[in-house]
Amino acid sequence: MTQSTETAPLEPDAVEDEALSQIVDAMWSSYFGHVEPMLPAFEPHDIEGPVLCASVGISGARPGLVSVVVEKAGAAPLAGALLQEDEGLTDEDVYDALGEIANIVGGNVKALVPDAGALGLPGIVAAQPLPSSAARQAARLDANWQGHWLTFVVWLAAPAQAVAGHVKHTSTDTGQED
Amino acid sequence: MKALVVDDSRVMRQIVIRTLRQAGYDWVDVVQAENGKEGFDAVASEQPDLVLSDWNMPEATGIEMLHNLRASGQDVPFGFVTSEGSEEMREKAAAAGALFLIAKPFTPEAFAEALKPVLG
Repeated sequence: MTQSTETAPLEPDAVEDEALSQIVDAMWSSYFGHVEPMLPAFEPHDIEGPVLCASVGISGARPGLVSVVVEKAGAAPLAGALLQEDEGLTDEDVYDALGEIANIVGGNVKALVPDAGALGLPGIVAAQPLPSSAARQAARLDANWQGHWLTFVVWLAAPAQAVAGHVKHTSTDTGQED
Repeated sequence: MKALVVDDSRVMRQIVIRTLRQAGYDWVDVVQAENGKEGFDAVASEQPDLVLSDWNMPEATGIEMLHNLRASGQDVPFGFVTSEGSEEMREKAAAAGALFLIAKPFTPEAFAEALKPVLG
């Protein structure tokens, strides 16, 4: 089967914006309920400037990638809020926290993907995520927290392309991986 | 009473321990391990009364640790704390001998409900 950027529509039961939003809301209320709320954007917001991106891959009939992208300046405050520790955070703590956020969202996304295989371990890069050309964006949530932008995004391979391969998960360029 | 928390994420181990306290189990001693291999060894060395383990971890996964524990005759009460809470995962966990599976994101109430039969 030939891979193409022309992808078939996702199945009706695939992950959509509303489902992703509910997953992120549940995570936020569980672990960030003590800080000010995250405000969803009304329109897509592409983050400019330095970012950190945590991603987890999903294998199976519909390979995918789930990423959380955060402005680099917002990563440490976000990790501090998750850990409820504002001082003494190391870079490793920040990468660890972002990886866990991706892991939690990814695990819940995986439950919505038909015939999903395994959930990968989180990987961190200091760049925007790079899914394979076989994947298309299935769901996205842009939000602002304490003046910092975050993007949650899900890519899934279209069913017709599922046998063609898997979504490439780029290795880290920071040398950090959870 | 002692609980072993196994997760490759230090952040998540801290959250699990914090939630354990919030669920009312502040009297439980906690020891930690970073993966299923270390967790297996820690069960032997620490003799915990309960294991709370992540599923996806390097070296050895949580389900591999559980299989190895049962194969070695170790029947320590075992529960998963994982981001994957599908029915399929719950069935796999139960078939391997896990008492419960707490899905992330979780609440202190979910911990209290799952842990009450084990820790009282």
